[in-house]
Amino acid sequence: MDKVIYTEKEMSLIDPKPGTAAAAARDFGIDLSLTVSNLRLTPEERIKNLDSQVDAIRKLRHSLRWISRASERVA
Amino acid sequence: MKDVERQIELISEFQIECVLVGGVAATVHGSSIPTQDLDICYSRNNANLAKVIRALRAANATLRGAPKDLPFILDEETLRRGLNFTFDTDAGKLDLLGEVLGVGGYDKCVEHADEAEIFGSRHYVLSLEKLIASKRAAGRPKDLLALVELEAILEHRRASESKAPESQ
Repeated sequence: MDKVIYTEKEMSLIDPKPGTAAAAARDFGIDLSLTVSNLRLTPEERIKNLDSQVDAIRKLRHSLRWISRASERVA
Repeated sequence: MKDVERQIELISEFQIECVLVGGVAATVHGSSIPTQDLDICYSRNNANLAKVIRALRAANATLRGAPKDLPFILDEETLRRGLNFTFDTDAGKLDLLGEVLGVGGYDKCVEHADEAEIFGSRHYVLSLEKLIASKRAAGRPKDLLALVELEAILEHRRASESKAPESQ
């Protein structure tokens, strides 16, 4: 994959200054590189992206089969 | 599956007067946090209630999270007697809100809405500022998670707007 090049404005989210809302979000655990990727899209593309993500999670859940559970395995 | 896309097309097809709010509105503003349902704040005038009912029937809507034996008639009178409803539909999970916490009803939401062209139609989307107010008012853990990202997006947007004239 190609390396992502961020603009100066985008860098304020990727590498926020202390005391900013972006820094608070990062410290809260938000991956703001995903936010930047989303902000590059149109509103319609953002919704299509959301639908794809939700569909992928749904398919994963559907295909998931537990082989065994740690709590049930005998040591 | 394109749940949100299909739901938005349903809104367009039946010309429902509503404002996109909640997680999908956050997505439209740039949030990366996934959501599985579409929340709309709908106009409660009689003509719109009729449109909403036609759309819900066309999408085979059933009440979500309610006991199967709970008597429920999907008609305008039911909507009139209630305010907020959660539905499962052929097009996914759809939540109807008569009011949005921290903002108000449909008229207030429209007053504070942006317009976006989505899938060939224009739709009202609750403004980022009011979306933040609604998340703050709701105050659930998932709202707080969304809140911090939305505040970062707002800060980024304001910085971009204030820098824009210099770059021209």
